[in-house]
Amino acid sequence: MSNSILLVNRFNPSLLIWVILLASCTGPGIVPDYYQSASVSSERSIGPVAELHRRAISAIGQRRFAESVEYLQRAIKIDPRNAFSWHYLAQSYWHSQQYGRCLEMIKRSVSYSAELDDLDRANAALKSQCEVT
Amino acid sequence: MAKNAKRKSKKQYKNSGFRRVIAALCIAGLLVLSVYLVYLNHLINLRFEGDTWAIPSRVYARPLELYTGLKLNSEALLYELGLSTYQRVDLLTEVGQYRILDSGIELRTEAFDFSDQTEPAHHARVLFSGSKVERIIDLETSNNLDLLRLPPVIIGSYFPQNGEDRVLLSIDQIPQTLIKILLAVEDKKFFKHFGINPKSIVRALIANLKAGKTVQGGSTLTQQLAKNLFLTPERSLIRKINEALMALLLELRFNKETILTAYVNEVFLLQQKNIAIHGFGLASQALFKQGIEHLTTDKLALLVGMVKGPSRYNPITHPEAALKRRNLVLRVSRDHRIIDEIEYQRLINSPLATVNRLPRINRFPAYLDLVKRQLNSSYSASELAAKGMRIFTPFDPLLQRNLEQGLEAGLSRFDQPDLQAAVVVADYLNGDIHALVADREVDFPGFNRAVLAQRPIGSLIKPLLLYSLLEDGMSLASLVDDKPIRIRLSNSDIWQPSNFDRKLHGQMSLYQAFVRSYNLPFVHLGVNGGLEALGRNLKSLNLLKRDVIYPSLLLGTSEMSAFEVTQLFQVIANRGYFSPLTTIRQVGDQFNRTLKRIPIDSYKLFNQSSMLQVQRAMIGVSEEGTAKYLAQRFKGQTLAGKTGTTNNARDSWFAGFTQRELTVVWLGKDNNSPINLTGSSGALRVWADIMQKQGFDAFKLDRDDSLEWHYINRFNGGLTKRECSNSVLLPFPEQLIPDHRSRCE
Repeated sequence: MSNSILLVNRFNPSLLIWVILLASCTGPGIVPDYYQSASVSSERSIGPVAELHRRAISAIGQRRFAESVEYLQRAIKIDPRNAFSWHYLAQSYWHSQQYGRCLEMIKRSVSYSAELDDLDRANAALKSQCEVT
Repeated sequence: MAKNAKRKSKKQYKNSGFRRVIAALCIAGLLVLSVYLVYLNHLINLRFEGDTWAIPSRVYARPLELYTGLKLNSEALLYELGLSTYQRVDLLTEVGQYRILDSGIELRTEAFDFSDQTEPAHHARVLFSGSKVERIIDLETSNNLDLLRLPPVIIGSYFPQNGEDRVLLSIDQIPQTLIKILLAVEDKKFFKHFGINPKSIVRALIANLKAGKTVQGGSTLTQQLAKNLFLTPERSLIRKINEALMALLLELRFNKETILTAYVNEVFLLQQKNIAIHGFGLASQALFKQGIEHLTTDKLALLVGMVKGPSRYNPITHPEAALKRRNLVLRVSRDHRIIDEIEYQRLINSPLATVNRLPRINRFPAYLDLVKRQLNSSYSASELAAKGMRIFTPFDPLLQRNLEQGLEAGLSRFDQPDLQAAVVVADYLNGDIHALVADREVDFPGFNRAVLAQRPIGSLIKPLLLYSLLEDGMSLASLVDDKPIRIRLSNSDIWQPSNFDRKLHGQMSLYQAFVRSYNLPFVHLGVNGGLEALGRNLKSLNLLKRDVIYPSLLLGTSEMSAFEVTQLFQVIANRGYFSPLTTIRQVGDQFNRTLKRIPIDSYKLFNQSSMLQVQRAMIGVSEEGTAKYLAQRFKGQTLAGKTGTTNNARDSWFAGFTQRELTVVWLGKDNNSPINLTGSSGALRVWADIMQKQGFDAFKLDRDDSLEWHYINRFNGGLTKRECSNSVLLPFPEQLIPDHRSRCE
């Protein structure tokens, strides 16, 4: 099973809390107030976005990829900077054999995934799969 | 005898000749009638083959997603509900109703088929805390709801040329009570006659002869349908004969259910400006903001009563006549035992309960026009007007309202009644166009300036030029010269640009030149290589209008519409990711089948780190540059933007973004005469007024670990400390961090 699939299966809130704690301990030096000091993705994977992720993951599990895309696009409209939404969207496109879109969505996920090492690894694995296929 | 016999034979010959003529005439008559019937039948075929009615396509706004923490107050939710078919009540009894509570709103939503999935009906309570949704409670289960997606509001329709509008009902969707009342009033023998009712015709004829004028009609429902579908309303014998013949043909061709369904969908009931509302389905929505299935008997009686005279018994313009007519229909219903005496007594005392005025048609003309243009490659105008498609857009009615109010407030600053405006609001992170205005009269369906008006963009070109220079190895601290320049053009003319203030400012950092929007440093840099790169980047955005690149492009002489400018800044605000601007996300047919999906697309077009530096410079514009008005007005809230002014102040532009939205404002005159407003004194003020109405999340730069932040001196570009004068904190790629220090003053 691919790493990206593993991420879906291992997706749990306690992991995210650790990621947030780690992220808050580190950060760049001098930055202005208007600079995102840490990835906002995991912090916001609660409430409606988490619910939509849950539904999307379930739809992916049942191979209903068009439906998972719809859930994830709703999640993105609520929180467009959530790296997980873009990653799951990339996964949905990979499963639907839309590899070009898969790669573009991974790029967006990566652009919001600072300090989310687990997600970065999953993105890298998924990227190699999209490129190979 | 012989004579007699001869006479007799002559007579016989004459008689037989006469008979032959009569027979021939009869045969000819029958032939003509047959041919005529074939012709009438052909007309019926034409009408009933394929699509019987042209059904206007409906355009939907985005569905409002409610969730805990959403920035939305109860007033905004009430506005959204007001745009849809919801009814305010004191006690919720059915779907499509809401009531106002001290701490929130209780509502019962209808199930809605989104094609991908059906959003079930909900009975929920939405609680607010200040300007946020605090909690959503599912009143069926008493649990909290994570998400509540409301059915989207219909924001407009594309009508056929005959101006007819209707919502089709199938026989199963027509309430039995409506059928009973309709037949009791209009055609008691409907299920017994064969298209015409001779007894009824004779009775009407006698009554009309006695009265000396038409006081009674003898037409059956089938005849009325034949008249509505195929004939003119003129009162003549020929028309009556045609009506009868076609009614007979209709009855021969179709069963009673089909004819009844056709009648219910065809009958004309209301006129709203140039749109004719046909059928009980749409009349119910227009008059009561309810689907026909939810109407009570008194409301059904009113609709049936209106069949006789849609104008005379219009309950909005002639409420007394309509009330009388409704009560007459109720009396007939009682006489036919459709309702009992108690219910009759109760219903005749009930008010008409219609809306005070019919909902406005297509009140967002600029947005609807853009939707149509974007659909144009897939569907023709005639298809849109006839196929009853469902077009789902990202249009946000709440943002549109704020935009309209903000624009009105902004334009009132300037005493220029002929000053025109175009504004586009987009979600730059996914390309959704949320709101659009193309005229200072926001609901005027005229020239779509936001899409069609091509105007020079002035200094709005500078962010992309800055990007091109940064990609070419410069940094925000690179030193540039603000000094005169003369350029010989290909036609031997001399071009001698100047700064807006006509002054020279010496040497400074690239950042400083950008935030002050000085022209000369950018022209110098442009002719030394930046121009080619700018041309390439414009071309990659499909915004390069001419093959030949002129130096004046460096100062924004290139013409663009507000829509195109929005696409340009979408990429900048989204750190180099291009998402095509769209007003369409999904198209479905009238049977809720998906015809087309437009997913969120995103292509990496430009370098993220360089774009982040451009964004930082645009923050500088709003903090201390040509748009510092924003910093004064919205203290402590970071915004990014760029002003643009064209020659002789003919166009005033501002493009700016918050954490979620990009808003582009253009002001100018249709005759291209000077408006005497710069980007700063004109469009920027309007932009700020719109933001004030809207409320916004301050802009934050995304994290980029490939850049390092350092204080530099804005004039000499050397490293410095925060506390030193003229210091500014800027991002740099590691290899471009300034290698000299500035003296701290």
